[in-house]
Amino acid sequence: MNLRTIRVIIAREYFNKVKKKSFLIITFVVPVLFALMTILPALIMLFAKEESKKVQVLDRSAVVQPYLTDNALATYTFSPSDASVDSLKSALPNSGQDILLVITPDSDSLFNLKAETYSLKPLGEGVKGELQARIRQAVKDKRIEDYGINGLPAIVENVESRLTVRSYTLNEQGQETVSESGVFMTVSMILGMMIFLFITLFGGGVMSSVIEEKASRVVEVLISSVRATELMFGKIIGVALVALTQFSLWIVLTAALIGLAGGMIGKDLLTRENVQAMTEMADSGAMGMHPDLSVSSAGDLMTTLASMPWGEIILCFFVYFLFGYLLYASLFAAIGSAVENEADTQQLQIPLTIPLMLGFFISIVAFRAPDSPVVFWGSMIPFTSPIVMLARLPFGVPAWEIAVSIVLLLLTVLLCAWASAKIYKVGILMFGKKGSFKDLWKWLKMK
Amino acid sequence: MSLISCQHISKRFGTKTALDDVSVEIPQGQIFGLLGPNGAGKTTLIRIINRILIQNEGAVLFDGRPITREDVARIGYLPEERGLYRKMKVGEQAKYLAQLKGMSASEASAELKKWFQKFGIASWWNKKVEELSKGMAQKVQFITTVVHRPSLLILDEPFSGFDPVNAQLIRDEILALKDQGATILLSTHNMESVEQLCDNIALINKSRVVLAGSVEQIRRDYGQHHRSVEYTGKPLAAVPGLFELVSDEDADERRKAMLKPALGTDNTALLQALLAQEVNILSFSETTARMNDIFISLVQS
Repeated sequence: MNLRTIRVIIAREYFNKVKKKSFLIITFVVPVLFALMTILPALIMLFAKEESKKVQVLDRSAVVQPYLTDNALATYTFSPSDASVDSLKSALPNSGQDILLVITPDSDSLFNLKAETYSLKPLGEGVKGELQARIRQAVKDKRIEDYGINGLPAIVENVESRLTVRSYTLNEQGQETVSESGVFMTVSMILGMMIFLFITLFGGGVMSSVIEEKASRVVEVLISSVRATELMFGKIIGVALVALTQFSLWIVLTAALIGLAGGMIGKDLLTRENVQAMTEMADSGAMGMHPDLSVSSAGDLMTTLASMPWGEIILCFFVYFLFGYLLYASLFAAIGSAVENEADTQQLQIPLTIPLMLGFFISIVAFRAPDSPVVFWGSMIPFTSPIVMLARLPFGVPAWEIAVSIVLLLLTVLLCAWASAKIYKVGILMFGKKGSFKDLWKWLKMK
Repeated sequence: MSLISCQHISKRFGTKTALDDVSVEIPQGQIFGLLGPNGAGKTTLIRIINRILIQNEGAVLFDGRPITREDVARIGYLPEERGLYRKMKVGEQAKYLAQLKGMSASEASAELKKWFQKFGIASWWNKKVEELSKGMAQKVQFITTVVHRPSLLILDEPFSGFDPVNAQLIRDEILALKDQGATILLSTHNMESVEQLCDNIALINKSRVVLAGSVEQIRRDYGQHHRSVEYTGKPLAAVPGLFELVSDEDADERRKAMLKPALGTDNTALLQALLAQEVNILSFSETTARMNDIFISLVQS
C-alpha cells in the first residue's frame, strides 16, 4: 500500500462529498429536525391548552347536564339547551358553538348512555376522549350524590391512590443508585439507532461511489495508477471521515439550536411539568409502550444518566461503529463493483439489508428486555453485534462478553474485507453486464 | 532495444484462456501497433503491462528488468473503456489523476495549465465534465494520459469520439510525443492509422500472436512481390522465365497490368523486358497489401 496515493484518494472522496449540495442540505436540515423533535412536545403542551371548544348540550336524560362543569382551564364551555335536535343542528353553523352534544339515556338507570356529537369539522380523537371522560365523570358525580351519604365524595377521593415507582440498582457493595428504566431505554434506543443509521447511510454511500466510478468508466484509468485495494480502502476511509464530519456537525448544530430555541421560548419550557410531558410523549410516542410509565423527577433522570458506564459506552460506540462500518462498507463496495447502476443493486443488497434490519429489531427487544437470549446472541453474532451490543450497553454488559463480541467482529471484518477486495478487483473491470451472486462467487475464487 | 518485452505470457480466467504464450517486443521510441479482433486478448495484454492484471505465466520486462508496481507511474494509459467523473470539475479531476501518477499538486497544476493552453481549452478548467461534449471530454482525457510525461504511452482506440479535425490534432500530438522520445503502444481497429503511424505491429488472434514485424515488411510480404505497371501502347505479353501476367486491363486511356516476377528477377531486368515490348511506361511500383486486407485474411483463416 502506498500511503501517499491513499491520502490523495481519501482527500478526493472526502472533499468531493463534503462540497456537494446534498451534504450541506442534510447537514443543516437534520439538526433542525432533531431540535424540533426535542422542542416540539413541549411546544405542543404549551399550545394545546389554548384550544377551547364551545359545546352546546342537549341532555335528554336531564341528569348529566348539571354535572358537566366548565373546565378549570376553560377549554370546554358547556351551554345547555332544550330546543329540538333538528333545530339545533340547523342552527349550529351560526350559533357560535363548535359542537352539538346530544345525550340520550338507554335506560332509566343511567347505566347505559348514548351520546352523539355534531360538528362542522371532524372531531379530533382528543376532543372525543375528553367529552367521554367528562360525561362519565358527570354520571359518577351524580350517582355518588344520589346515595345521599354525607361525606361520600370525600371518601371516594380518599380511596384513590397515587402511585410512583422508583427503581434502584444495587452494586456488590450494596450501594444503591436511582435507575430510571425509561432513561436506559432512551439511551439504548438512541445508541442502537445511531449505529444502524450510520452503517446504512454511509455503507450505501461507499456503494454509490463505487458504482459512479464504474459507470463513468473512470475506474480503469484509476487502477492503472493505483492498486484496486488502495482505491477501495481509500474510498471507505474517505466516506468514514465524511460520516464523522457530518455527525460532529449534527451534534454541535443540534445542541446550538436547542439552546437557542430554549432561550427564546423561555424558561417555562423546562419546568418540571413540561419535562414530564416530553418524557411521556417521547416514551409513548417512540414505541407505543408503557404510556403510564412512572414519571421521575429531573433529579432522578440525571442520577440515572450519571450512573451509566459512559466511558465504556463511548469507547464501545467508536469501536463498534468503526468495525461495523468497515464490515458493511467493504461488502457494499463489493456489491457496487458488480453493477453499473444503483437500480441493479436491489437484489444483491438483500444479504446485507436483512442482517442490518434484524440487528435493528433485536435492538428494540434489547431495550425492553436486555437479558433475553435473542439479545445475547444478537450482540455476539458479528453482523448484528454492532447495533445490538450498543443497545445493550447502558444496562451493563460483562466485560468478557464485550471482548468476545469484538474479537468475533474483528475477525469477520478482516475476512469480509479480504473477500470484498478480491471481488471488487475483478468486478470493477467487468463492463456491460450485471453481476449475479454466482459471478461474485466466481470472482472471489479467481486468482 | 526494447522498452517493453513481454515473454511467454499466459493468462487464464477460470477455464478461459485469454492469452496463450504471447511474446511481444516493443522497441524504444517507436509507435507499436497492437492489432486483433474483438476478444482476441489485446485488452488483457494491455492490462498486464499496466499491472492491473497479473499474468499466470511469463514475464514483463520494462527497460530490461522485471516490471514493478512503481513503473506504472511512467506509463500513461488511455483505455478503450474510458471516462471521467461526471460531477467533478475538469481541472480538479485532471489534477487528481496526475497526482495518482505521482506528480505533486503544484507540479500537476502547472503542467496541466500548459496543456490546456496548448489545446485551447483553458476556459474549461472550472467546468464540470457533464457540461462538456463527448469530444471535449476526450480531449481532457488525452491530456490526463500524457501530462505526467510517461515514457510509455498505451493508447487504446485513441481516435474514437473525435471529429476529423481533432483526430488530426491527436495524431500530430502522438507523433510529437514520439519525437520527444516516448514509446507508444497503439491499439486500434483503424488500419489506416496503423499504416500512417506504426513502425511495428503484432497481431493477436484467439489469444496468440499470429503476426509480428515492421509494417513496411509485412505489407510487402503480403503484397506477394507483384509489380503494378501503368502504361500506354499495345497490351503486354508475359515473358516466360521473367514474369507472368496476373492481370492486364484497360483503364480509360491507359492500361494497368499486374506482373508476377519469376524468382530472382530484379527490377532492372523486368523494366528492360517491358521496354522491349515497345510500350510507354507511366508508372512502375512494387505492390504492398493494405493492412486492412492482411488483417481480414489472417483473422478469417
